[in-house]
Amino acid sequence: MSESPFRNRSLYRRNLSIAILLILLLALALIMGLATGPSGMDLTPVWDLLSGNPAGDALHIAIIERIRLPRVLMALFCGAVLSLGGLVFQALLGNPLAEPYILGISGGAATGAILGILAGFARIPGISLTAFGGSMVTLFLVLILAKGESRVNRDAMLLSGVMVNAFCSAAIMFLISISEENKLHDIMFWLMGDLSSADMTQVGMVALLITPCFVIIFLYSHKMNLMLMGRDMARSMGVSIRKTTLILLITTSFMVSAMVCQSGLMGFVGLVVPHILRQLLGSDHRILVPATIIGGGFFMVVCDLLARWLPREGEIPVGVITAIVGAPLFILLLKRRRTS
Amino acid sequence: MTPIKYRSGILSLVIAMVLLFSGAPFCFGESRSFTDTTGVTVTLPKRPLRVVSMAPSITEIIFSLGQGACLCGVTRYSDYPREAALLPRIGSYIRPELETIIELQPDLCLAVKDGNPDKTIQQLKAFGISVYTVDPKNIASILRSIKEIGHLLDVTDTAMALTKKMGEQLAAIDAAVSKAPHTPTLFFQIGISPIVSVGKNTFLDEMITRAGGKNVVTSHTPYPRFSREQVLALAPEIIIITSMARNDIFDVVKKEWESWPSLPAVSTHRIYITDSDILDRPTPRVIQGLAMLTTLIHPTLFPEGAHE
Repeated sequence: MSESPFRNRSLYRRNLSIAILLILLLALALIMGLATGPSGMDLTPVWDLLSGNPAGDALHIAIIERIRLPRVLMALFCGAVLSLGGLVFQALLGNPLAEPYILGISGGAATGAILGILAGFARIPGISLTAFGGSMVTLFLVLILAKGESRVNRDAMLLSGVMVNAFCSAAIMFLISISEENKLHDIMFWLMGDLSSADMTQVGMVALLITPCFVIIFLYSHKMNLMLMGRDMARSMGVSIRKTTLILLITTSFMVSAMVCQSGLMGFVGLVVPHILRQLLGSDHRILVPATIIGGGFFMVVCDLLARWLPREGEIPVGVITAIVGAPLFILLLKRRRTS
Repeated sequence: MTPIKYRSGILSLVIAMVLLFSGAPFCFGESRSFTDTTGVTVTLPKRPLRVVSMAPSITEIIFSLGQGACLCGVTRYSDYPREAALLPRIGSYIRPELETIIELQPDLCLAVKDGNPDKTIQQLKAFGISVYTVDPKNIASILRSIKEIGHLLDVTDTAMALTKKMGEQLAAIDAAVSKAPHTPTLFFQIGISPIVSVGKNTFLDEMITRAGGKNVVTSHTPYPRFSREQVLALAPEIIIITSMARNDIFDVVKKEWESWPSLPAVSTHRIYITDSDILDRPTPRVIQGLAMLTTLIHPTLFPEGAHE
């Protein structure tokens, strides 16, 4: 695994063709996402916007540019961040059930967001700031737990994350039980995840915060490979386990918090996408990290498209689609892998 | 997309919007300006022809002013009057569909202060759509909202006549209630399991008081939960059960209360089941709701002419 992934020619070709396929699929999904609205799918205004046709239908071009584009980009980032978060935590904690919220980020962010909603703050920046604050508090708690020990104890971290989430869900239930009806709707939409109110400022902010995290995680992808081979092995190869774990932990948690505080909690995607890609591409993180960013983004853009397109009126929460599409797909891949 | 490119996009859009909206509407004559309670000023053509209603109560008010024809979009549960159900839908009032509203190109969007998401309203305004916010949440503000909508739709006279008539009916009810020898205590049940009631400073609490009853709930939580034991301790003389769902379950709920004969409301057979729509929608039908409630609380005092 320590050798270059590009040494083996047939593997190289296979990975290259999967990469090209993923990028093409993503581009197709983005265009479909832009073309689809409540009155169906129409490619003409998308083409007018891309080609800068001045004679195009101004209203629909504006709708695409200012409503659908931010939403589609938000879905792309959301899928990429959550899938990458899942990938890193699965490697870091050595646990296939790890997902980006495993260290208590979801509980912290949700408690923060609900407090913000109850205090009557605006969605932007008020609620996204309280959500971000909440998840930072949980990250801080986990770090305090990790501090002082010579090595970061994975089981203790996992268990404390589960406990933080359990504590927070009790707090959330309590807050919901005392909420007024009109605030309850806001809370439910936040807990289910909501991309519909994204605007370009939010998208820009998210992009600014998460791109450096992508780079850092990619730079650590080789060390993740070594760590998966066992701690002693990694240490003998000169990897500082504690430092690597802490940097990845903080970077990933920060990235997930920055995303979730804008989009609300999107379930499931962080668990299923890394596993699907690992089934397809093997376990080299130098390939998996970029593939997860693209694949996760693609998955979420498609799920958001289905969430808007399937119902005759209104929308299905996108989290429903991610699980309904993702779970059977994952089981199918798992079964095929076993039989072959 | 970089912020700079986006900004230039906005500029060209603003120009496009100006070109788009400067054409048709202004040919009806001088434009008119209105400022709503949230301090937002909207400029409208002499008479808006295309109006989107963002709540069932607003749809009802517009129909009560005889202006149903100018509605080009209503929310999902706009089911009264029956014609409203045939109009194009723009999503629910808590989840309006932004794109659908924009595609309808309305002259005016009528929103409610509590319920419609702020974000959607901001996005509509960013698209150059006039959004006027009303806040009908008690009897006085319903009357005010009817007048405001009447001004906006240029049917001030109709609105004045309607609110005058409603005022007279209200006065008749008030006069009748003031003659009541006794103010019975009342438990208003809006949720079945768990038992949920209404607290102080809510619309329904105002209705109960105005109908000559005394809400046994003194909590300032808007919709507090109760255990059966707590209700037994409050010993209300009347229990009124209402819910949005209408089915057999209410008879079951009533039977459950009837198994506690120590309750004054049970021993005097004063448990009532009502239709919630005319009680909790802030619309002109609120007078009917109030009249109905008054009849339930004071069956002997029913005011003449307050029900229609």
